[in-house]
Amino acid sequence: MKALLPRSLMGQMLLAVAVALLFVQSLSAFLVYSAQRDSYETGMLNVAAFRIVMETRGRDALRGAERPERAPFGGPRPRGFPLETTSSAPNTASEVRDGHAETKLGQILGEQSLKVERIVIVHRRLGDDKRASERFLAHARHHGMAREQMDEILGNHLIVVGVQLEGQDDWLVTRVLSPRAMNLLLSPLIFQTLGIYAVLMAAVTFILRRMTRPLAALTRRVEDFAVARDLDGQIPVSGPEDMQRLILAHNAMETRIVDLLDEKDVMLGAIGHDLKTPLAALRVRIESVEDDIERARMATTIEDIVRTLDDILSLARVGRPSDPLERTELSALVVSVVEEYEDMGEPVELGETCRMALELRPTWLRRALRNLIGNALRYGHTARVSLGKDGGQAVIVIEDDGPGIPDNSIESMMNPFTRGDPSRNSATGGAGLGLALARAIADQHGGSLTLANRHSAEGRVEGLTARLTIPLG
Amino acid sequence: MNDTAPVRLLLVDDEAALREPLGEYLSRQGFTVTQASSAAEARTFLRDHKADLVLLDIMMPGEDGLSFCRHLVEAQDLPVIFLTARGEATDRIVGLEIGADDYVVKPFEPRELVARIRSVLRRAARGVPAAPENEAFVFEGWTLDPLKRRLTDADGAVVAISSVEFRLLMAFLEHPRQVLDRDRLLDMVQGREAHLFDRAVDNQVSRLRRKIEVDSRNPQLIQTVWGGGYMLAADVKRVALEDE
Repeated sequence: MKALLPRSLMGQMLLAVAVALLFVQSLSAFLVYSAQRDSYETGMLNVAAFRIVMETRGRDALRGAERPERAPFGGPRPRGFPLETTSSAPNTASEVRDGHAETKLGQILGEQSLKVERIVIVHRRLGDDKRASERFLAHARHHGMAREQMDEILGNHLIVVGVQLEGQDDWLVTRVLSPRAMNLLLSPLIFQTLGIYAVLMAAVTFILRRMTRPLAALTRRVEDFAVARDLDGQIPVSGPEDMQRLILAHNAMETRIVDLLDEKDVMLGAIGHDLKTPLAALRVRIESVEDDIERARMATTIEDIVRTLDDILSLARVGRPSDPLERTELSALVVSVVEEYEDMGEPVELGETCRMALELRPTWLRRALRNLIGNALRYGHTARVSLGKDGGQAVIVIEDDGPGIPDNSIESMMNPFTRGDPSRNSATGGAGLGLALARAIADQHGGSLTLANRHSAEGRVEGLTARLTIPLG
Repeated sequence: MNDTAPVRLLLVDDEAALREPLGEYLSRQGFTVTQASSAAEARTFLRDHKADLVLLDIMMPGEDGLSFCRHLVEAQDLPVIFLTARGEATDRIVGLEIGADDYVVKPFEPRELVARIRSVLRRAARGVPAAPENEAFVFEGWTLDPLKRRLTDADGAVVAISSVEFRLLMAFLEHPRQVLDRDRLLDMVQGREAHLFDRAVDNQVSRLRRKIEVDSRNPQLIQTVWGGGYMLAADVKRVALEDE
């Protein structure tokens, strides 16, 4: 049930307004309907009362002073069905009596000072009332009425009123057809109700759309901005004033964020430049150190500093690369990184590869691969690198034969400044940025980096497997 | 040039902390070094003096290295090596496009800088054009842009090649359908990397095959010729590149 409810603001508000409107309008339509019905019913009862009063009083009932000399008594006979006198009540046992109407008629007749013993009122179709239908059919035949019209009229509603006056055994029975308008009461009311409903809902929908369309555009923009982080494609100000102010505020915030990011990039560039120049000077100066071993150590230290500096700068820039995506043949890139390590005499093995062209940033991806292969060599003694496809993803797998990583710390290993065994820090070097950077680069390409221990048949850890995936585009 | 007058270097860098020790180091290596702290100072010096090669910092206040480099290459026809603090590809490509001969990323190993200086001077002395022509080599669906050192396959995807592989491929492309023996290839491929001299040509050829052959075990493009040598078995077209 919950799944069927709309989740969007527009959907929820429309649903709420629609339900509330439907309820209110139904209530009002019902009240209108019952009031009208009531007034028609009163009219019918008045006709019935009139006939009965006429029957019981006659022209002599008028007092002398009220009786004009040439009053036009007589005239045409009343329309409809003539009054009938029966010995029993007109209703059958199965018919439901209309108590409400009976009370009402009792009041009307009471006001005319008619002493009534019992009143029975039932509703019937014209066709179901023997006497009325006989009379109607005779009338219809006389006028040569069409069959369909007759059938329609036979279905009309009729009230049958029986009145037993005080002290009499006979019943006076009169029949009153409901007016044609009463049969047509429901459909105009329904049309009117639906019409108003449609107009109101259209107005509400219009207003809601005006509100939610800029909101939806803003949402898309926020999502895009989170990825691209530049000012291209800012949304124009539109919608009601509240929305306009929100959009204005949002655009201003984007501008501030971009300014901050630009500032950060400029600052990082300056830091990089300002630190690398003195490092370069230092690197030149150590050439004058006589002791070869000492000089080599110094050079290694400087290289470590430079590598860490590069990693920090890269990590800070990875979410906002300045270089564009380039269609690149991935296997050649993987192979060329492996060959760099071969040239350094490192034990790197190249496994299966297959050609595939992807949109990527080669400089960044090289860096990720270097970090992963470097880690495998540092902690796992060897590195086996392979490239394959798996379900729309390019998968680069780097395996080592090292001790692996405890399962519970695999995730934290990918956080910046986290290293494996703390006691080996000084020996292994690095600032613990390699994996964090590799994962950030995978993210940058819309892919992922996962680490998992490889187990032998006996359950011993055989080594670590790093899987870097990139969508094939 | 080894036995005659010492090589004259012009070192342009605004950072005295680097410029001075580097100048001293290069002097100890047998070069005659003149230092300049800005492009303007270097221009003044070059008005009255000669230099064989310029070492140029890219990021300097005042006129920056890139525009000064353009002046040096176009007006003075001097070999230029860039010193850059950034390792990003952009500077490198821009630098090479406007005619710099090589670049080193700070902090560089001083010995490597010396090796590159010698390599650039050797190329300049041999009359190898410092700036490659602005045209691409097209063969068997492949395109090599020598300026950007970019190899693209038939689908336009970039195929990564190392600088040694690049020079090896250039050697083949400049001599298509000719048998090139190992010594000749080694001679043509010898570039700035000092450690290249002892590396087997065969190894490099097999690496290049891995990148461009459909099946590197059954090579079609770069064929082994019985009796010691290799040959590019493809026709090569030169296509002018549009300036970007």
